[in-house]
Amino acid sequence: MAEASLTWPAGNDRVPYWIYTDQGNYERELEKIFYGPVWNYVGLECEIPNPGDFKRTQIGDQSIIVVRDQEDGVNVLVNRCAHRGVKICEQDKGSFNEIMCPYHQWTYDLKGNLLGVPFYRGVKGKGGMPKDFSMGENGLDKVKVHVRNGGIWATMSDETPSFEDYMGERILGYYDREFDGRTLKLLGHSRQRIGANWKLMLENIKDTHHASLLHVFFVTFGLFRVDNDSKVEMDGTGLHTALSSIRGKQELNDGTKQMRSFHSGLELKDPNLLDVVREFPGDRTVVMQTIWPNVILQQQSNTLATRQIVPMGPNAFELHWTFFGYEDDDEEMTARRLRQANLMGPSGLVSIDDGQILERTQEGILAHPNAEGVVELGGRDTEDSDHMVTEVALRAFYKGYRNVMGI
Amino acid sequence: MTISPELRGEVEGLIQDYALAIDDGELERWPSFFASDCLYKIVSKENFESDLPLALLLCDSQGMLADRVQAFSELNVFGPRSWRHMLGPVHVTDDDPVTTRTNFVIFETLAGKDTHILCAGEYRDVIVREDGTLKFRERLCVYDTTMIPNSIVRPV
Repeated sequence: MAEASLTWPAGNDRVPYWIYTDQGNYERELEKIFYGPVWNYVGLECEIPNPGDFKRTQIGDQSIIVVRDQEDGVNVLVNRCAHRGVKICEQDKGSFNEIMCPYHQWTYDLKGNLLGVPFYRGVKGKGGMPKDFSMGENGLDKVKVHVRNGGIWATMSDETPSFEDYMGERILGYYDREFDGRTLKLLGHSRQRIGANWKLMLENIKDTHHASLLHVFFVTFGLFRVDNDSKVEMDGTGLHTALSSIRGKQELNDGTKQMRSFHSGLELKDPNLLDVVREFPGDRTVVMQTIWPNVILQQQSNTLATRQIVPMGPNAFELHWTFFGYEDDDEEMTARRLRQANLMGPSGLVSIDDGQILERTQEGILAHPNAEGVVELGGRDTEDSDHMVTEVALRAFYKGYRNVMGI
Repeated sequence: MTISPELRGEVEGLIQDYALAIDDGELERWPSFFASDCLYKIVSKENFESDLPLALLLCDSQGMLADRVQAFSELNVFGPRSWRHMLGPVHVTDDDPVTTRTNFVIFETLAGKDTHILCAGEYRDVIVREDGTLKFRERLCVYDTTMIPNSIVRPV
C-alpha cells in the first residue's frame, strides 16, 4: 500500500483518504477521541432495568460492562480482571449479584470494588497475599458515567466537560425531544459488521443529500429528500450535528425531477408501513443526530433507535442498533414502530443501501491514501444551513476532527 | 410427533422449493409460498430468547411480502451475489396445524470475493393447506449469527 503523507490539504473542502485507512492514525484516534475527553454512548437504561442487570459493550477497542447496582446506580467498568487481565464477562447481557473472574475467582461488587481473593490469608499458614496488599486499589477500572433521560454515557478522561456542556444547548434540545424523560421501552437489537472506516458511518448521516439520490425508498415517499423543508445544525465544535426535516409529497417538482431514483408511479401494496403518526412537538417528521464520537440517534417517522458505532481497526466497524419506544406506548404504537423498523437495520429498506455503499467507499479509497475527497456542495463554509443541498456538516465535522487530532 | 409419509413429503417439498426459489433469484415466487393471512419474520436469537419483539425484517401481509420483493429486486442498491441455503432435516413438532423446525445455513458469495456464511439458524414454521396447496402461515427465521456481515439483501 502507498505510504500515507499524513498531511491535510488546505481548506475544509477536501478530505484526505489516509484518515480512513492508516493504522497509526486509527491508534491515535483511540487515544485522542474514544479514550479522550468525550462522552461515549454505551446503552439505554431500559436494557438494564433491574439491580444486577448488565450488558457488555465497547468503548474504542476496550470491552466494558454496563451494570446496575443494588442502589439503582449505573456503573461502567472495564471488562478486565485486576489480577491477570482475564476478560471477565463473556455474555452480551444478563444478570449477576457479583462479578467473579473464573480463572482465580477474584470477586468484585457491582461497583467494581474488589470483595474477595481466594487464599487471601494462605493455607495452613503458608502463602497468601502480602499483609500490605490493598483491596481498595485493586478493583476493576471504573469509567465515569452520566445518565440523562434513559441514555447512558461514559467517559475515560478526567478532562471531559459536563454532558450538558459537551452537547451544547441546541443539540441537547434535540436530544431531550427524543429522550423526553418518559421511561423507554426496549424493542430489540440488530447488529452488523461493515467493512468501512467508522467515520464514514457518521458522515453518511451528516451527508444530507445522498438520501435523495441513493435511497429510492426515501426519495419516492418523501421521507427524507432535498426538496423537503430541512435544517442542518451543528454545535460549536462542528462534531455533533442535528438534521431535521419535514416529510414531502410523492410529487414531481424541481427537486424530484433531478433525481433519477424518484418513481412517481411507485405504490406500496401495503401502505401500513408508512402509517405515520405525529408524536413529537413541532413540525419535524425526522430528526437524525450524530453525537460525537460513536452514536447516531434516530427518529424517522415513528421508528426510534440508537446506532452505536464500534470501531474495529481502520477498515471496519460494527453497528449496534437498539430500537425502542416508550413505556406508555399502546399496542398499536408498538406495532407501528416494529413495522417501520423495516426501514432500518441490516435488512432495512433504506439502510441496506448505506451498508453496501460504505463498504464500496472503503474499497475505492484503500489503495489511495494520498488522494482526496471533494466536499464543496453548498459552498466551502461551515455554518448552519436551512436546506440539505449541502455538505456543510461534513466540512464542519472535519474542521472539528482536525482540532481534536491536532492535524 | 409423526405425520403421514405423504404429508411429510409435501412439507419437505415446500421447504426445499422455497430455498430453491430464493437461491435461484426467483424472488417474485416468494409471496406465493405464504398463506393469504401470513406472518414472516427474520429475528435474531438474541431478541427471540429475550422476548424482544424487534425483527430484522417483518411482513405481516401478502402486500408487505410483495413490497419487499419490489424493494429487493428494483429499489435497493447492492452488488451481485449468489446465495446457497443448506437445510437440515425437517423436525415436525405438531400436526395440527403442522409445525416444524428446520436448521439452515446460508452461504453468500459476493462477486470477486470469498464465500462467507451470511447467517445460521432455524426456521420455525406453521404450515396450513390453502386451495389444496401447503403454505406458510408463519415463517419465523431465528438466526444465531451475532454480527451480520454487512446486510441481508434477500428474504432468508
